[in-house]
Amino acid sequence: MPSATFRKGIHPFYFKRLTSELPVETLPLPETLEIPLQQHLGAPAKMLKSRGDQVTPGELIAEAVGMISANIHSPVYGEIKRVVQRPLPGGRMCDYVQIAVDRERTEAHRWERKEIELETLDRNAILAKIRDAGIVGMGGATFPTNVKLNPPPGIELDTLVVNGAECEPYLTCDHRLMVENPRGIFDGIRILFHALAFKSVVFGIEQNKPAAIAAVREAMSEYPELPLSIVPLATKYPQGGEKMLIYAVTGRTVPAGSLPLDVGVVVANVGTLNAISEAFYYGKPLVERFLTVSGEAIREPKNLRVLIGTQVDAVVDYCGGYSEDAGKILFGGPMMGVSVPTTDYSVMKGTSGLLFLSVKEIPEESPCIHCGRCAEVCPMNLMPLKLAAFAKAKRFEEAKALNVNDCFECGSCAWSCPAKIRLVSWIRYAKNYIRVKKI
Amino acid sequence: MSARTEGFLLTSSPHQFSESSTNRIMYVVILTLLPAVIMSVLYFGAYVLLLYAVGIGAAMATEVVTKLIRKKNWRTISDGSAVITGLLLVMSLPPRISPLLVGLGSVVAIFIGKELFGGLGANVFNPALVGRAFLAAAYPVPMTTWLAPNALFGFLGRVPDATTSATPLSSAKFEHTFESVGKLFLGQTGGSIGETAALFIILGGLVLILLRIVRWRTVVSYLGTVFLLGGLFWVINPSLYPSPVFQLFAGGLMLGAFYMATDMVTSPYTHLGSVIFGMGAGVLVVIIRLFGGFPEGVMYSILLMNAITPLLNRSINNKVFGRRPNRRGEGRS
Repeated sequence: MPSATFRKGIHPFYFKRLTSELPVETLPLPETLEIPLQQHLGAPAKMLKSRGDQVTPGELIAEAVGMISANIHSPVYGEIKRVVQRPLPGGRMCDYVQIAVDRERTEAHRWERKEIELETLDRNAILAKIRDAGIVGMGGATFPTNVKLNPPPGIELDTLVVNGAECEPYLTCDHRLMVENPRGIFDGIRILFHALAFKSVVFGIEQNKPAAIAAVREAMSEYPELPLSIVPLATKYPQGGEKMLIYAVTGRTVPAGSLPLDVGVVVANVGTLNAISEAFYYGKPLVERFLTVSGEAIREPKNLRVLIGTQVDAVVDYCGGYSEDAGKILFGGPMMGVSVPTTDYSVMKGTSGLLFLSVKEIPEESPCIHCGRCAEVCPMNLMPLKLAAFAKAKRFEEAKALNVNDCFECGSCAWSCPAKIRLVSWIRYAKNYIRVKKI
Repeated sequence: MSARTEGFLLTSSPHQFSESSTNRIMYVVILTLLPAVIMSVLYFGAYVLLLYAVGIGAAMATEVVTKLIRKKNWRTISDGSAVITGLLLVMSLPPRISPLLVGLGSVVAIFIGKELFGGLGANVFNPALVGRAFLAAAYPVPMTTWLAPNALFGFLGRVPDATTSATPLSSAKFEHTFESVGKLFLGQTGGSIGETAALFIILGGLVLILLRIVRWRTVVSYLGTVFLLGGLFWVINPSLYPSPVFQLFAGGLMLGAFYMATDMVTSPYTHLGSVIFGMGAGVLVVIIRLFGGFPEGVMYSILLMNAITPLLNRSINNKVFGRRPNRRGEGRS
């Protein structure tokens, strides 16, 4: 199959075989959930409940504040124990709502499918329902979906790009969703199609997922009213990056500093689309997700269905615990994921993976030998060796002039550097300095 | 089952890396040079082994001592860059030069050519060529005393055995007699220790290009320019000027093109920069060879283009995805 792609990028080792054939298992109900009030870009949600309150599955427990924010719901029957302040992965402090889970009642609970009349819902009603359900981008960016689908006046969205790339190593949860429940994804697409009347819907899937391509192709035939097409993508990182994906499947270039909506495109992750369909057809807000547990330091890698707020320890226990040499825990994939120093963190709406790696130390930086590999792989065509050198020399105006803010920190440069220079860290340093000092 | 809950490594992304490393690159380069090194021993005798040993040893010692003086980590010696400098320097020298001069050249190559600039990655000029340029200026006679390659598994000594002979390039320049290309290709002519066996240099160089250690654009633009410009003059007057194929295989051009012009630190890291570098060096080589005072121009062509490299690196930038050319960056803050 010929495949679409973007320029440059890297070919890391993928490790997908650890979990790609494993069907999704449902994690047994934990005893407690600790749900952070910030699992999305924008303002943290405002807590509506108090200590001692009883909650039910799907009940709103914190509401969105302002336009760029998201609602948070309880996944279970239980009791609010307390609210504690703890760090999120990455270090920012956040309120976590601790819920004691009523396992018996929750286990008996079922989300019932109901039919809805999509034709009776107009665009605003659909977007409002998406907002009520607390749906955010589940590919990891966690941008509130209803805001993304509501462009300013004058902007026409003509293409929906479905992101089935899953380009990070280790992660296979999107792959399993496409194989096991492609109709959930298409139901979500159909709902968005009713809201925004796209002229075309392009489903991008990397070539390393032939089973997913086949399953999606088969399910696609049941949705003849939708302007669907599947585009096989080259297996390359970062194929799933928004701008790279749009270029590969539509040929359009998102201008620097702009958003996909400026070229008439909206990108949606397959998990997000499935969550949208569950919100409409099951009345279920975003309270659980698929994720991949993998890495050489976890005994039994798995694909899991996990409730939002589940703690890392519960996941580790279900997956057989660590092998002896557990060194690093990552939220997300190894290229852009966030490492955490303890297990005192929770699965969130954007947590696509929990990786347990055995690495105990990072390689030492040696001098830049000007090999230029970083500039050869950067999907944004930047020159990381120059950006890092400017950052190191504190020449931030020059870094800004060289487009350091166009970097989306995919990590391809640092991956390819033979001198093991922490290029992304230096670039982040420059970006932060420029932002804070308003250079 | 370990129930560890804390003490995990905390670092920023990315958390996965390629297998490449600076050490690995250097060692691969050395490996690809070994066939040419072995051939040089067969052509010029075991004496050159002494020169290799002195050249490499002096380079490494100089690096260690300089690092100690600068209070830096001397274990950087293990990255192999000093070995490469010593190796390339010796390969560019006449086969019966004294070990003392080789040692001196190595010290200058490392101390002045690399460490004084700030160590690996900071130097502007190719260190091996800095050492050779020093020797050429300070010791012109030993640096132009050549030997025909007759000694197979020869002696170890400093007294030249056969008659000193001219190199194909000096014959071409001063006597307008041109050696056959076949002999040049296989190294059966007079010349520097390592540069005569063009076949083995090219093979090693091609491996480096395939492994993406050497920038092919530099090599192609360098050799291509020499071929075209040399060819132009040859067409104008074939009895006065050597053929372009002769130009390619005579002297140190192959060694210079594959191993010296492509030194990552001292050559441009952009595609356009590589092409400009190669073309400039190619023009200089032909001009010096045909009209300059020296029969050989590779060393100076590369050193002069090394001087331009910082400018090329500074002024050439990739066109950023999503930006029209020459738009300065601002981005979302």
